[in-house]
Amino acid sequence: MDLEDDTTVLTTLKSFNSFIRHSEAPQRLSEHSAGSVSLQSQYKRSMELLEAAEKVQSKNRYLQLDQEKRQMELSHKRARYELERAASDSARDFEHEVDRNQDLLGRIKKLEERETEEAKNLSEQVEVNRSLRKNLDGLNRKVEERDTRLNTANQTISSLKDEIRELKQKIQNQDSAVSSHTLENQELQEHLDLQRRKYQEVSQLCQSLQAAQSSCSEHIITIKELERRLALQEQDFAIVKNIKSEVARVPDLERDLKRLREDNAFLRESRENCSLLKEEVEGLRKKLERTERTKEELVNMELEKERVAEKLRAWETIGQSTGLNIRKPEDLSREVIHIQQIEISLKEQNYTLNSRVRSAERSQAELRAELSKQRGRTQEEQKKREAQDALVRRLQKRVLLLTKERDGMRAILESYDGELAPAEYSPQLSKRLREAEEVLQRTQKHNVEMEGQLTKAQEEAGTLKLQLHAVELEMESLRKQQASAGDGSSSETKEEVSILRQKIEDLEAERQSLEQQNNVLEMRLERHNLQGDYDPVKTRVLHLKMNPTATAKQQRQQDGEALREEVTRLREVVRSLRDGGAAAALQDESGLSLPPPKEVLDLRKQMESSELRNQRLKEVFQRKIQEFRTVCYVLTGYQIDITTENQYRLTSLYAEHMDDSLLFKKGSSGSMQLMETEFSKTLGEMVALHLHHQKSLPAFLSAVTLDLFSRQTTI
Amino acid sequence: ILTLQGTFSLQTGITLKGSAEMVAEFFSFGINSILYQRGIYPPETFTRVTHYDMSLQLTTDSKLKNYLTNVVSQLKEWLFECTVQKFVLVITCLETNEVLERWQFDIECDKSAKEIRSAPLPSSAPRDKSIKTIQDEIRSVIRQITATVTFLPLLETPCAFDLLVYTDKDLMVPDKWEESGPQIIDQSEEVRLRSFTTSIHKVNSMVAYKRTDL
Repeated sequence: MDLEDDTTVLTTLKSFNSFIRHSEAPQRLSEHSAGSVSLQSQYKRSMELLEAAEKVQSKNRYLQLDQEKRQMELSHKRARYELERAASDSARDFEHEVDRNQDLLGRIKKLEERETEEAKNLSEQVEVNRSLRKNLDGLNRKVEERDTRLNTANQTISSLKDEIRELKQKIQNQDSAVSSHTLENQELQEHLDLQRRKYQEVSQLCQSLQAAQSSCSEHIITIKELERRLALQEQDFAIVKNIKSEVARVPDLERDLKRLREDNAFLRESRENCSLLKEEVEGLRKKLERTERTKEELVNMELEKERVAEKLRAWETIGQSTGLNIRKPEDLSREVIHIQQIEISLKEQNYTLNSRVRSAERSQAELRAELSKQRGRTQEEQKKREAQDALVRRLQKRVLLLTKERDGMRAILESYDGELAPAEYSPQLSKRLREAEEVLQRTQKHNVEMEGQLTKAQEEAGTLKLQLHAVELEMESLRKQQASAGDGSSSETKEEVSILRQKIEDLEAERQSLEQQNNVLEMRLERHNLQGDYDPVKTRVLHLKMNPTATAKQQRQQDGEALREEVTRLREVVRSLRDGGAAAALQDESGLSLPPPKEVLDLRKQMESSELRNQRLKEVFQRKIQEFRTVCYVLTGYQIDITTENQYRLTSLYAEHMDDSLLFKKGSSGSMQLMETEFSKTLGEMVALHLHHQKSLPAFLSAVTLDLFSRQTTI
Repeated sequence: ILTLQGTFSLQTGITLKGSAEMVAEFFSFGINSILYQRGIYPPETFTRVTHYDMSLQLTTDSKLKNYLTNVVSQLKEWLFECTVQKFVLVITCLETNEVLERWQFDIECDKSAKEIRSAPLPSSAPRDKSIKTIQDEIRSVIRQITATVTFLPLLETPCAFDLLVYTDKDLMVPDKWEESGPQIIDQSEEVRLRSFTTSIHKVNSMVAYKRTDL
């Protein structure tokens, strides 16, 4: 079957391939055919091919699946076969196992029977064991009980013994305590007695003290009372003194009183008199004033009287002076009235004349105005006429120009007409015509403009001329007014004008000079301001007291002073160095700040060291000398002292008196001579023997020592 | 460092108090610059700080600082009361006790700002000067002061300085202050420098120095 399948597969494959090749051939052929029809057929063919391919593929798959199924069936069969074999084997094994099982079961049964027998034996043995154990337990218990009883008995014995011991100790302690307590009791009682005695004494003392205190206080009170009484008495005494003194003064006072009363009365009277007098004085003063006033009035009245008299006289003489028929004031008044009437009439005439004058003036002014107007009008008309003349001239000029143009144009036209026949230049001619027209128009416009400007200018000139004329008229009128107003004062005005002009010039010159001065002063002020000047009336200059300049100046001063002091000190040091020498300078150098030179320091050190050495040597010499002297004294028995130059005093160790001494003098030749002393007088024999005969000082001295020693020892 | 509290109010622009503070601060920095420039104190006693958008020198000497703060604080009060007319820095030679240089600042105060302190002014236009513009002006003045080094004569001798204040005559003199002379230079050359204004205070600067006849 497989083979068949394979062959079918192969055949199908073959057919598929052949189909594809067939399909490919016509495709190649149809490549060259043009148009979309071939493409459609190709597409259809390709689709068909694809379907065929799919079909073939599905067939292949189907075939493959069949193959697989068959393979699986095969495998199934094999598996089943094997399983059957396995099953049979397992069945045989199973039978074997069953047989074995049965054998084993039989063995088990036998063993179980043996087990039961053994168990029975075991149980019997166990019972026997148990009984034996019970016996043992009972015996054990008995033994234990006895042991415990024994133990308890022992314990009780020991405890009882302990108790006995303790009780004995307690008894002893208590006895001792009791004894101590009794002793203490006794002591305390004694104390108590003592205290009671003391208490009694103290209470007695207290009582006595209190009594004393009370008495003291009473005494103090009495003392105070007495003191108070004393003070009062003193006060009374003082008062009494004062009163006595006052009393002594009383009669004087009474006298003074009397005097004063009299004075009082006198003064009152005088006061009354005074007041009366004052009133009188005032009255008199008023009278005086009145009289004075009346006097003045009198004087005034007399003056007035005189004046009035004069006036009267004048009035009386008026009639004579004026020449009129005046005897009474009524006549005067009549005359006055008459004059007044005349005056009034004259005034009326005056007023009428004035009014006439004014009207005349008004008419004059009107006429003048009319005149000016007329003149203006005439001028305007003149101007118009002139303008019109100009217009006319212009028009004439224009006419001339136009005629000229026309002539010219005509001439051109004629020329053109003459030349027209040969050629046709219609467009160019038209162009030229147009251009010429345009030029004409432009020139005409220009002309018009120029004429317009001309007319404007002429009008302006005319207006200006009018204004000029008006101004001239005004000037003439003003001049006429001036001339009419004051012909006489024209010269004065000219003089005034000249004077005023001069004044103006002077003032101008002054102003300029003042301006210059002002400028100069301002410059100066500015300069001063820059420099820092100020007006003491309005401003004040302040600064802090502790400011850096002040502190710097102080510092400088202090530095200067310090430097000066140092300089003086150094000068002194220099002087002392020159005069005194190094040591003095060094001593005074305590205040100097200069460092001493090295040589001085070395010298100082040397000096100190040498002084030390000297001191040490002195000490050593002294000690040695002292030693030597003591040794000499001890050994020879004589203390040798040098009293003066070349004189030696010897004092013996065994001398009987302190003053016993021998004097020796050293001569110029070097020999020692014995001097007379009290002691030496007693040694005359020895002197004679040893010194005169033997001529040996040591022998003499030793003889003296022996003699003294013998005396001492015997005594 | 300026605090804007109380120095600038939005309605009226700069206030009198703020203006006084700004002027006092300018004087403080200006004097430090002059002392550094003219070498009155050694340059190592100065330290650099930044203010008005430029680097300035400030002294570290405590005594000098103390003195300056005393003077400037009193000056601030007087600026607030509008009683100060001029502020002068005088440089004296210690050896000869002569005045060698004189830096003078004239102060013109708008007294109307004193009366109306907190109420808005009817015409606020002249007061609307921003702090930035004022600081720019101050910066240009200080730059000019630095530039004066080119023509001022050298100070070769050791010198000390003093600060003088020209005030109104009727002012009460505070304690620690005393009256002094104007300390005017004999034979001086004067140069006017820039000025600046805070719209309430106007400060004109000028320097006068002793003529050195060569």
